[in-house]
Amino acid sequence: MNIQEYFSLVFSDYTLRTITLGTAILGAVTGMLGSFAVLRKQSLLGDAISHAALPGIAIAFLMTGAKDSNTLLLGALVSGLIGTFWIRGIITKTHLKSDTALGLILSLFFGFGMLLLTHIQKQPNANQAGLDKYLFGQAATLVESDVWMMAIVTGICLIVLLLFWKEFKILLFDKDYAKTLGFNTKTIDILITSFIVLAIVLGLQTVGVVLMSAMLLAPAAAARQWTNSLATMVFLAAIFGALSGVFGTAISASQNNLSTGPVIVLIAAVFVFVSFVFSPSRGLLFKQIRFIKNRRDLELHKTLAFMYHIAETHDDISHPHEIKILNNFQGFTRGTLKKLVEKNYVTLQGTTWSLTHEGFKSASNLYNQLNKNDE
Amino acid sequence: MSNAQIEIQLIASLVAIACAIPGTFLVLRKMAMISDAISHSILPGIVVGFFITQDLNSPLLILLAALTGVITVVLVEYIQKTGLVKEDTAIGLVFPVLFSIGVLMIAKKANDVHLDIDAVLVGELALAPFDRLIISGVDVGPKSLWIIGGILLVTIGLLIAFFKELKLSTFDKGLAASLGFSPAIIHYGLMSVSSVTTVGAFDAVGAILVVALMIAPAATAYLLTTDLKKMLLLSIVFGVFSAISGYWFAHWLDASIAGSITTMLGVLFLMVYLFAPSKGIIAVMYREKQQRTEVSLLTFLLHLKNHDEEAERHVNHLNEHINWQKVRSKTVLDLALKNNMIVINNAIVSLTSKGNEFTTQAIDYIITNEDAQIEDMKDDFFLFRG
Repeated sequence: MNIQEYFSLVFSDYTLRTITLGTAILGAVTGMLGSFAVLRKQSLLGDAISHAALPGIAIAFLMTGAKDSNTLLLGALVSGLIGTFWIRGIITKTHLKSDTALGLILSLFFGFGMLLLTHIQKQPNANQAGLDKYLFGQAATLVESDVWMMAIVTGICLIVLLLFWKEFKILLFDKDYAKTLGFNTKTIDILITSFIVLAIVLGLQTVGVVLMSAMLLAPAAAARQWTNSLATMVFLAAIFGALSGVFGTAISASQNNLSTGPVIVLIAAVFVFVSFVFSPSRGLLFKQIRFIKNRRDLELHKTLAFMYHIAETHDDISHPHEIKILNNFQGFTRGTLKKLVEKNYVTLQGTTWSLTHEGFKSASNLYNQLNKNDE
Repeated sequence: MSNAQIEIQLIASLVAIACAIPGTFLVLRKMAMISDAISHSILPGIVVGFFITQDLNSPLLILLAALTGVITVVLVEYIQKTGLVKEDTAIGLVFPVLFSIGVLMIAKKANDVHLDIDAVLVGELALAPFDRLIISGVDVGPKSLWIIGGILLVTIGLLIAFFKELKLSTFDKGLAASLGFSPAIIHYGLMSVSSVTTVGAFDAVGAILVVALMIAPAATAYLLTTDLKKMLLLSIVFGVFSAISGYWFAHWLDASIAGSITTMLGVLFLMVYLFAPSKGIIAVMYREKQQRTEVSLLTFLLHLKNHDEEAERHVNHLNEHINWQKVRSKTVLDLALKNNMIVINNAIVSLTSKGNEFTTQAIDYIITNEDAQIEDMKDDFFLFRG
């Protein structure tokens, strides 16, 4: 199946439609909430939570014996929340730093989860197969009820986000100010963290424990490059996330042997890469162009200042000088000289140059300006 | 105990020691999450190495994978340097991408060869004794034992040779640089050792659980000591203890050895986290409660000193005017009485001379902004702490 066939099938084929919708919704909600995680410098929290959710899945299965995805996700949610609050406990109550706390909870919970999973696999119960899809995710196992679940959670997220927009925003950028205004920062904090956990847990079935953190970070990191406004960033992140989901599903469906989760992550990474390079205000490309342009301007000014110093020693400022004497000067190039002519600062005659009045004036001003800046 | 069991425990212990040494420095340098990133992102290195060598234990594969680990670090640092995103976001972006590439490479090409993502992630220690190293027809032991043993020897050698430099650059980067030790060389040296250890250990305990063996023992030890040598020693002890007890736990439960080792590490950390003498959560909460009571006591004494009128010094007044709950005011009163700071006559509280002296000194310290001195003063005056 090639990509075109995929897009013609996506509206008619049940499985494809479900998976595409599911990954798109997932991408949107993780992108939205991921923006908050990234801005709160909690980027790696997603990684830790997604790993910490694993024992919850195993315990939920052990307790109910059923593979109903909602029950398992509830287990994941509880265990993810426990992990999150334990991380906070470690950071606030001991001198261990946040990275240690994250790595600790991540690996310990994950190891415990693996212990439970292998224990479950050894049990004489044919029902247990397929639990390991939560490790790497299998978008193909999404059914319509899962997508509904995602849609509902996304809806709730959206409503809460809109209701508490002001609170979230102020907490994000100035926590102390929020506190002095009388907002209950602890509750808002818990609310937003719980929603991040919820989004992560939703994604486990689709992209799996290991890659979930990228789903949270990548769209937000990409969106951050295009804007300085929170609302725009959240909106853009949601779109980037949804697009990664759709394209990822399309590519993995059109090829054999490509798991959806990693492909979605790679597509999201492409978004990040493009944003890093091509964003107009922050991107590396335009930054480099601006850098070169500034350097050129500076060289131009240096040349002009040098000419000014020569012209100063003569009564007639337009007295012609040999171009040769500029050769010892570093900032001089044929290009800069041409530019000076274009600006009508300098006139050229054969192999000599002479400063115009305009050039003299702006050069002396330039000098004053520099002096002023020095002071 | 059979021969294989002893060998498994030996391998697990060596892995634990080899992880604990770089892990201690990672935790101290606040780079614990880098080990997580490395452990994921070596996957493409392992896959490419496996395609070339067709042998999971080949030295070339270990080198290639370790190189991927170092590339991860360089990439993360490059992204950080651009300033487009925060440090932790850079880590979180790089390793899932490399990991995805690894997963897709396995899915595309290695479907029919013996390389399974689960095995890379989780490892299978129980199988380690069956892969023997045979030198000119003589069986000299399991391959992974030799590999991890070699890595451990190199790590210990480097640790002893560069202990001073490592210590200095960990705790005072600026001083290290000004004394002429290149922080960059030490940094990348540590990263290389971590990468090599991760690769060497992944086939025994799995790439993710290496992270547990690196961070958990060091973090547990850090709660118990602030001495670098003691911390190294403690984390090695914790690692080996969890490795051996984890093996027997897995044996009893018939489950993954690596998972059970991690669980033991978790239990160990939880115990220390709760009960460590001065930094454990219980000790910290007890100290916080003690300080809260003592601050209340100080407030109360200041109040007494400020007010001569009897109405203000009545026992019941504590609840009414200062707005404390009954239990709290009772605790404060008891503490003050026990320390001979106050006397109570007909439910009227008044300061003793000792209480008066204490309060006067406290006011002096508060006025001169030397609040910290009050802590020392408490040692002189208090017979009982809150």
